Amino acid sequence: MSYIIQILPQIMEGMGVTLGTFAVTLVLSIPIGALVSLCRVSRVRVLRWISGFYTWVLRGTPLLLQMFLIFFGLPAVGIRLFGRTRLPYVFFAFIINYAAYFAEIFRSGIQSVEKGQIEAAKLLGLSNAQINLKIVMPQVIKRTLPSIGNEIITLIKDTSLVYALGITEIFKIAKSISTRDVTLTPYIVVGVIYLILTAVITKLLNQAEKKVYYEE
Amino acid sequence: MGSETMLLEVSGLYKAFKGNQVLSDINFSVEKGEIVSLLGQSGAGKTTIIRCVAGLERPDRGSISINGQYICREKDEKMAYAAKKELDQIRRQLGMVFQSYHLFPHMTVLKNVTLALTDVHKMSQAQAREKAMAMLKSLGLENKADSRPYELSGGQKQRVAIARSCVTNPRLLCFDEPTAALDPQTTREMTRIIKDLAGQGMGILIISHDIPFVKDVSDRVLMVEQGKIRSQQ
Repeated sequence: MSYIIQILPQIMEGMGVTLGTFAVTLVLSIPIGALVSLCRVSRVRVLRWISGFYTWVLRGTPLLLQMFLIFFGLPAVGIRLFGRTRLPYVFFAFIINYAAYFAEIFRSGIQSVEKGQIEAAKLLGLSNAQINLKIVMPQVIKRTLPSIGNEIITLIKDTSLVYALGITEIFKIAKSISTRDVTLTPYIVVGVIYLILTAVITKLLNQAEKKVYYEE
Repeated sequence: MGSETMLLEVSGLYKAFKGNQVLSDINFSVEKGEIVSLLGQSGAGKTTIIRCVAGLERPDRGSISINGQYICREKDEKMAYAAKKELDQIRRQLGMVFQSYHLFPHMTVLKNVTLALTDVHKMSQAQAREKAMAMLKSLGLENKADSRPYELSGGQKQRVAIARSCVTNPRLLCFDEPTAALDPQTTREMTRIIKDLAGQGMGILIISHDIPFVKDVSDRVLMVEQGKIRSQQ
C-alpha cells in the first residue's frame, strides 16, 4: 500500500495528457462527426462520396497507424501543421479518427427519423435548418446516445495508445516504473485509474440518457 | 380560373414513376367550404395526387393552383414549378393530416401545435399558446396539452394532427385516409369535425377507400381508378 502511495504522484503527472487527449478529442470530434454525417446523407453526390471515402479510410485502418503517419509522416514530408509542439498532432489523429465513428453513428440516427415527420414539418413551413435543429437533432441525440457513450468509453482507454509515440501519459509512466522496480503493481494502479474514469463517465452518460429520454 | 370561391384547381395532371404511369389526366377542383373526396383502392394513385397538391411530388404535366397561386403549371410546353420560397408561401394556405399523423414524438401535444406559430409565423410563446389551447379545446383535447404523443389513442393523435395543421388557419385541408385506423364511433366524430371545419369556410380534400364514411362526409365524391378519375357523383 505504501508503495502504491509512493508511485501514485508520479503516475498522476501523466493525467494531464490522458485527460487532455480525451477532452480535446471528445469536444472536437463530435461536431466534426455531425458535419460529416450530414454530408453522408446529403443530396449532393460529391459530398456523399467524399464523406463515405473519409469514413472508410479512417475506420478501415488502425488508429495507431494513423497516429504514426500523422505524428511522424506529416512532419517528415514537410507538413508541419502545428510546428514543433507534439501534442496537437496526437489530438489531430484522434479527432479525425473518432469523427469518422461518430459520423456513422449520427448517420444511422438521422436515417432512423421517420421521413413523414420531415414532410409534416416542411408542410408546416419550417426551413431545412429548423427541421434539422428542432425535429431531427433531438431524436438523433436520444437514439444515438447509448452508442456515443460506447465510443466515449473506448476513447478514454484509447488514450493509452499515445505512449507508443513516446509521449508521457499515465500508461507510459506505469511502464517505466514497472521496468525500474521490476513489479506489475503500477499496471494494476493504472488499471484502477481507468476503471474509476470509466465509472464516472458511465454515471454521467446514464444521467444524460435519462435527461433526453422520452417514450415513443 | 373562375370564381373567387375556387380554392384548389387541378388540371391535366400526369405523373409517372420510372416509366410506370401513375396519374393520367387528373382534373378536379375544391371550392371554399366544400368537402371533396377521392375514393379508390390502394394503388389507384390517390396518394400521389394529394402529394402533388402538397408539393411533395412533382407532376410531369399539368397544373395545380391553390387560391390562385400555382404550385406547378405548363408554360411554353415546359413544366414550371414554384420555387422553394414561393412554395413555402403557398403551403401556408394548406394543411395536411397524414394517415400515420407524423406527430413529433419528442414534443408535448401543445408544442406540436405551437411549433409552426412560434417558429414560422413568429408569434410570441404566450400568443401561440393561447391560440393552440383554443384549437385543442375545440377538438376536445384541452386536457391532453401536456401529454406526449405516445400516450394518446389513434383518434386523439389524429385530432392533434388536425390541430397542428389548422392552428395556422389554412384555407385548404387535406386528409390522407382519415378513417383507416378509427373505430365506428371515432369515425362519426371525425365526420362531425370535418363538417365543422368546412362550415367555417375551409376547403377539404379527402382521399379514402372507406365508402360509407366518404358518402356521409362529402359534398362530392370522385372515383379514382388506375390513375384516372372515372366518375363524379
